[in-house]
Amino acid sequence: MKIVTKSVLTALFGAVALTGATAVAQAQKMYEGIEINLLTRPGPVIAGRLEERGKEFEAMTGAKINVASVPFADLFQKLLTDWATGTNSIDVGVFASGWAVELADGDLLADLSDFVANDPDLDLDDIAPYFREFNQKINGKTLLITIDGDFQMLYYRTDVLDELGLKPPKTWDEYLEVAAAAHGKDMNGDGVKDFGSCMFKKRNAQSFYAIMSIAAPFVQTQGTSQGIFFNIETMKPMVNNEAWAAALAFFKESGKYGPPEELNHDIGDTRALVTSGRCALMLDWGDIGPLSIDETTSKIKDLVGASILPGSTKVLDWESGKLVPCDAKRCPHAIDGVNHAPFAAFGGWSGAINAKADPKVIEAAYKFLSYMSQAAQSNYDVTQGWTGYNPYRISQFETIEPWVEAGFSRESAENYLGAIGDSLNSPNMASDMRIPGTQRYQGIILDRELARFLAGEVTAEQALENIEAGWEEITEEFGRDGQLSMYKSSLGITN
Amino acid sequence: MPSVFSEWLDRQSRHLFIMPAVIMILVFSIFPLIASAILALSRVRLRAGGYKVTFVGFANFKKQIFGSEQFHFLGTFGSISLLAWAFTIAVGALLIWWLLRYLRGPVWWLGLIGRLIAAAVLFGIAFMFAATLLSGTQIGTLGVTLFYVFVGCTVQFAIGLGLAVVCAQPIRGRTFFRVVFFLPLMITPIGIGYAFRMLADTTKGPFAPLWQMVGLGDYAWVTSPWAARFFIIVADSWQWIPFIFVVLLAALENVPRDMVEAGHVDGASHSQIFREITWPQIAPVAATVILIRVIEAFKLVDLPNIMTAGGPGIATESMTLHAFFAWRAPDLGQSAAISYLLLFVTVVLCVSFFNLVILKHRSAQG
Amino acid sequence: MQSTPLPKNTVLGRFFEPPGIGKMSPGGKVIVYGVLFSWSAFVLFPLYWVVVTSLKLPIDVNAGPVYLPWVDFTPNLHAWRELLVTGLGKTMKPYFNSIVIALLSTSLCALIGSMAAYALVRIEYKPKFGTILLFVLAMVAMAVAVGVAGVDWRLAAAVAGAIFVLLARTLGRRFKRSVANGDILFWMISQRILPPVVTIIPVYMMFQNLRMLDTHAALILSYTVVNLPIVIWLMYDFFAAVPIELEESAQLDGASRLTIFFEIVLPLARAGLAATTLLVLILAWNEYVLALFLSTSKAQTMPILVAAMNAGEKGVLWWTMCVVIIIMIIPVILMALVLQRFIAKGVLTGAVKG
Repeated sequence: MKIVTKSVLTALFGAVALTGATAVAQAQKMYEGIEINLLTRPGPVIAGRLEERGKEFEAMTGAKINVASVPFADLFQKLLTDWATGTNSIDVGVFASGWAVELADGDLLADLSDFVANDPDLDLDDIAPYFREFNQKINGKTLLITIDGDFQMLYYRTDVLDELGLKPPKTWDEYLEVAAAAHGKDMNGDGVKDFGSCMFKKRNAQSFYAIMSIAAPFVQTQGTSQGIFFNIETMKPMVNNEAWAAALAFFKESGKYGPPEELNHDIGDTRALVTSGRCALMLDWGDIGPLSIDETTSKIKDLVGASILPGSTKVLDWESGKLVPCDAKRCPHAIDGVNHAPFAAFGGWSGAINAKADPKVIEAAYKFLSYMSQAAQSNYDVTQGWTGYNPYRISQFETIEPWVEAGFSRESAENYLGAIGDSLNSPNMASDMRIPGTQRYQGIILDRELARFLAGEVTAEQALENIEAGWEEITEEFGRDGQLSMYKSSLGITN
Repeated sequence: MPSVFSEWLDRQSRHLFIMPAVIMILVFSIFPLIASAILALSRVRLRAGGYKVTFVGFANFKKQIFGSEQFHFLGTFGSISLLAWAFTIAVGALLIWWLLRYLRGPVWWLGLIGRLIAAAVLFGIAFMFAATLLSGTQIGTLGVTLFYVFVGCTVQFAIGLGLAVVCAQPIRGRTFFRVVFFLPLMITPIGIGYAFRMLADTTKGPFAPLWQMVGLGDYAWVTSPWAARFFIIVADSWQWIPFIFVVLLAALENVPRDMVEAGHVDGASHSQIFREITWPQIAPVAATVILIRVIEAFKLVDLPNIMTAGGPGIATESMTLHAFFAWRAPDLGQSAAISYLLLFVTVVLCVSFFNLVILKHRSAQG
Repeated sequence: MQSTPLPKNTVLGRFFEPPGIGKMSPGGKVIVYGVLFSWSAFVLFPLYWVVVTSLKLPIDVNAGPVYLPWVDFTPNLHAWRELLVTGLGKTMKPYFNSIVIALLSTSLCALIGSMAAYALVRIEYKPKFGTILLFVLAMVAMAVAVGVAGVDWRLAAAVAGAIFVLLARTLGRRFKRSVANGDILFWMISQRILPPVVTIIPVYMMFQNLRMLDTHAALILSYTVVNLPIVIWLMYDFFAAVPIELEESAQLDGASRLTIFFEIVLPLARAGLAATTLLVLILAWNEYVLALFLSTSKAQTMPILVAAMNAGEKGVLWWTMCVVIIIMIIPVILMALVLQRFIAKGVLTGAVKG
């Protein structure tokens, strides 16, 4: 608790602390003459804050931060090409942490473990356990510094649910009931029928994150280290079973209460509908909170509630592949008999450093990433919707003042931060896949079969069989033993 | 001294004219071509600070044509219907007749090999369509690409030519119409993709109210494979008709006015003049423009990527998009293999078109 | 329009009867202007929508369609301000890069391409089949040496070049079959067939070895090469239409080939040259994949700015994207207006020919 109090104080007096730090550092200017080339996606989202904080950092230490950007969709390829071909024109990449495994697999990322161990300013214990232990580490080494926390939550329209006399859904079955009840109501007063549920289902976009969020509570009961993708003895895919079938069935069913074009909606389209007040229920990352209070984009200020992702009362029996009811032994982390497994989709924007960069540059770059992540900076940044940063530190959801200052009503801030706290504190948080070839397992096979299933090209059984076969093919190609040990270490299992 | 130099220059002009182009194209093309051939036969993985390339023979191609990617590349093969068999046999017979006819004349071995390859590819494509489309199962990215190429280019050529003919008439506001008709080509293709995604949006796009009014509120074009493919062709045509339009217009402007006028004086009708005088003059340019357009159409990637991301399912995925997804995964070997398959199909079809249409036109003219 | 001429004494017949040569009948006028206006509407509506969207607040875009500024929504210049006031520096740099790269590469491409096209029309080339085969083999050997055995590329290129020259000199005379101009022409266009995703990494590594990544020169050079086949192909047909008699008489007067080309042939083909130049300019102006890989910050061009407005998991920023699209079209429209005059003047070539 002592640490938390400290962070609260730093957050509250962030501005004061900042000027103080500047004064101290100015005397030193320890990185004078060093230039750090950073690549990320175009601003203002994500990049904008890096530029501004980069100027502050330069004033403090003398190190110049050059922020370059390429379109989001091509960021990974660009980084990969620069580092793998030995061009090395980029020192720091700020990207989705899920991509790091591929880069780490090619030994392209600098090991930051020693820096982190000797950096009291980073306040490592304040970073939520999932991000500290799973997001920042690959194979036991700290290779990334989290500056944004991404995991999905459920959002609901408080006014619509109140009117219907319904409670926010606790399970995916209840989700369908609420969606059905709300579907067809006018929710923003424009006289047009609105939708019960909005989910992004476009191919090659984010739909596969949604299906994993839905499947997680059916599959994972024993805590993060159980995983939701593979059998940790044999590396056999754990997808061709009733749990994933239930998730697929739910996903298709939810389309009945969604916009007719849902199959072609990516997250941007879905958010446009949500913020213009056309959806009763939605699944999204943390951004909806800050976005909902921005009056240039939102008609739903203080009308959205957030909660931990719905769970399930039936869970997978890993032996038989069948769904069985929850009991105390099977679902040790269940709340009121419902097993929740909030899914850390995408991982969040994190910084990593090129292993081939000059040691002095690596050191300065680490100091910059640490500066970005420190509570004094980060606790303010996450409350600002335009930065694109979402909470990942304990102090960020235990201090309500910055959020109220940012424009939340106290009530909705409490509700929003409560949902974040429930998710981040859950010992059963489901980890995203973090093994070599993840982009192929998910982005090619899972995504394509999901799209074909939703379009009616294949049945659920065929889709799951195809996913299983496709994943096995990739595992064989990469080598089963290596993949298995990477998978286990990604879940924190060491033996 | 200057005259010596200019004499030398004149003697060398034969090479001077063409060498810069040949050298530039050679340097730029041959290395990527060989490098991607190596990739297509390999498995590429990141290892120890760089790429590790493992030779796997034709495994990447096998996976596309016979293996787990077959449904994706060629389509889903089920039981083949009677109609499909009839169609396949008819095409086969036609191709054999075509080959036999060639064998009766003077035969050059390279020409024969070329024709055999062309016939085999055409037969394969016909069989693929028969076994998927005509048998009621789904077509793969090859079929979708061919659909875009043939339907798209036909529509675009017809409309582009029509507009060029109309704009070549003595009309008021020529400059205005020409510039307006040319506008779409000026927009960056990515921008066109996004613009059409806005237009095709039936929940918040400009046609949404119209869509609701005619009672299609619950119907979404994105869920129907053919409607989605149709929309992509519309966007593609919007972008590329101007290309055909402007080149054909320049060609029409080059047709000697006096010849047309002489035709009028002789009392020939519009269509007669077009067929007898204008068309022969612009035919070579028309053939070139078709060839260039076909080559670009085979590479269609931005529009399906932005508008539908290949969906619903894999219905609008072109081969280049297929390669692009694999490349992004990053699965460079598969990506190069798909690209080489595309190269093969495109080259065979374009060479056939070039030899059988363009060269014939030129020899008829020259 | 029909092959059988209409009877001239009916009303309908008179309606479709042109009043004189080079003029249109009233019926023809209706059809022609009908086509012109309906096609203009089809072309302009998407552009109108882009313009209107650039004036909307995010909430106006997201909530459902509104059509007319000041009528059903209040236009707002926030997106324009973001790009042209607060972020002017970030917009102008790629804009300037785009202009420099597109203009230089187009000029280079038009010059080299039309010279090659002219040469292919008027001069007969007969490279030996076997020599080409030798060359390809030498190149493959070089690629294998560099890629597999890890030999330095400069050394490999020198050795491969030397071996090729040596073999071509000694064996060259024995080869009989040669390829014709048509084959050269086809080889050139075939370089556009391979999708860019497969060639991009080799091209990237080529420029990396030359230390030319993120420079204007890399983009100018690569755009020149990728567009050369288009120039050569289109100009080939336009040059072929130029009557050879003019050149022959100039040759008798003692003019060199270069003089003939620049002073007689090129002016005669200017309609085609203008159209071709415009096309290539646009292709260079809008190219995306090469620009993405060959530039990082210094040489980034405008199309990257368009793609950047898709903020991935944060949605598409339609309003600013539309602004970028609009400011990207403006210079091209200006160029089109300038070049359009040459296309129209192409009519004169017909007169010269007679």
